[in-house]
Amino acid sequence: MAKSSEESPSRRTFMMVVIGLISTVIGIALAVPILGAVLNPLFRKRDIVWTKLGKISDLNLKPLTPKFVPVYFRVKEGWSVNTLPRQVVVVKQVNGDLLFFSNQCTHLGCPLHWIAARQKFLCPCHGGMFNATGQVVGGPPPRPLYQWVHKFGKDKDTVYIQNKFKDNPKDRGI
Amino acid sequence: MFKQIQNWFDERIGLTKVIEEFNGERIPRRGGWAYTLGSLLAFLFTVQVVTGIFLLFYYVPYFPIARNATYFLKHHVVFGNILLGIHLWGAFTMIFVILIHMARVYFSGAYKKPREMQWIAGMVLFSVVVVLGLTGYMLVGNENSWWTINVLTNVASHTPFIGGFIREIARGGTETSVLTMQHIFAVHVWLLPIVVIMFIPIHLFLIRKTGHQGMALEYKNSKISEDDEKRWLKPDGTVPFFPDQFYKDMIVSLVVFAVIYILAVYVGAPIGPMYRPLALNFAPEADWYFLANEEILKYFPGHGLIIFSTFLIPSIGFGILFLLPFIDRTKERSPFKRPAATVLGILFLLLLVYLTLIGGEPKAPATV
Ligand code: HEM
Ligand code: FES
Repeated sequence: MAKSSEESPSRRTFMMVVIGLISTVIGIALAVPILGAVLNPLFRKRDIVWTKLGKISDLNLKPLTPKFVPVYFRVKEGWSVNTLPRQVVVVKQVNGDLLFFSNQCTHLGCPLHWIAARQKFLCPCHGGMFNATGQVVGGPPPRPLYQWVHKFGKDKDTVYIQNKFKDNPKDRGI
Repeated sequence: MFKQIQNWFDERIGLTKVIEEFNGERIPRRGGWAYTLGSLLAFLFTVQVVTGIFLLFYYVPYFPIARNATYFLKHHVVFGNILLGIHLWGAFTMIFVILIHMARVYFSGAYKKPREMQWIAGMVLFSVVVVLGLTGYMLVGNENSWWTINVLTNVASHTPFIGGFIREIARGGTETSVLTMQHIFAVHVWLLPIVVIMFIPIHLFLIRKTGHQGMALEYKNSKISEDDEKRWLKPDGTVPFFPDQFYKDMIVSLVVFAVIYILAVYVGAPIGPMYRPLALNFAPEADWYFLANEEILKYFPGHGLIIFSTFLIPSIGFGILFLLPFIDRTKERSPFKRPAATVLGILFLLLLVYLTLIGGEPKAPATV
């Protein structure tokens, strides 16, 4: 018969080591699939798609007067394909160049309101303010408005938008 | 008959003795009403679990459907409005009561040696209860839920080094999606409640191990000086937990439950409009207990400072509170004998109230 822990100190040490090892093995074995489930998003590639915004000539843009145009991205998310409705804020600059902003505040992502009387985008959450060219003019936002990645079609009039922001290394927002 | 059943159990496991030991715990006698807050929290949490389980008979954690399922529960299920109302107002009450309980413990210095671990276990409960509130707010699937998810995951993304990962893990991807809702759901109905269910017994076990300290007024007759730890070992008078303290616990629970019930029936749980990511004129609002934090977010402009409002101030504040027993190591317990701690506590509470009151006001008007 094996000795009890009370009879032999080394037997006691041995049992404690075995108990510790068993706990560690079971713990690690369980942690692996759990970490997999939790960290899974980090290993997924983002589904990037193009979607049509429409023809610029149809928008009747006036200089420095933003137009909010909804777009609908069809993207794979987890187990489903979903429609992500998003706003594209099209602004024609004085020199005629076009800007395609997101209406998300660059602070923490609230939806911006265009206040025509003040010629500014105001954020209802913490008072962020942007001018018509997307520069921060007040409040806490740390950077200018996000710009959607976009391209023109063959007719140089139809615009396509990607569900991705320019100059956004950390993939913030969206 | 009853006697026989009792004997059956006693012969086997000595049940009567276990119950008597539990019920006989000595509680300091002068401040009984102030000590009902902890039991009240345990009661409120039980109510949350019970109502929550039956909300699940109808709720669907899927963005376009969640809000309508909640609407159905409220308007088409018999007494569904009461069930949902209790769950909402119970949650609000719990957060409010937990703050009062903390204040009671703080001002009576009950977190000091040997009760440091009680405070730590309490802080775990506090953090979990607040996150339960926030995740519950997100589950409704209305406009505020949608923007709260976006804003809070963005706040988390400013954590140094791992912020981006935290946001992506919480959302289940870069965007707020079906997976986001599923994660929040699992956290709200399983993960966090289980943490609470584990930590309430730990909290209570610790309190029973050291005995209740109660407030300084329990030790008025003691001859030992204020800064001697021994003074705080033996209250002048005690009563048994059952029925003396339990009776007060029940009365307070009933009054608070009645208030919750009336609010549930007559005010109910507002459901609000369906979420609209395209909204052009929507002003998101946080729940009241988050407004103080929300106010801090309005300051610290620009890239270099944003980390103060999103990470440093909240986490340092939380860290100080968490480690309070190890920061304040003085021995006096009476609020009058430790004026610095008392004044700081009062100032902190006033600041919290002030930030909450102005936190609800947008800093710039949404429409001019
Ligand atoms: C779900 C949340 C909580 C429950 C159910 C709970 C429950 C209780 C109960 C039943 C008591 C004994 C009676 C009383 O003084 O009320 C107690 C005491 C205590 N609680 Fe909590 N509590 C909770 C949260 C907290 C929090 C957030 C803290 C502080 C961070 C805390 C710190 C303490 C301390 C230090 C005591 C000992 C007081 C003394 O000995 O006089 N508790 N708690
Ligand atoms: S989200 Fe716009 S200012 Fe904070």
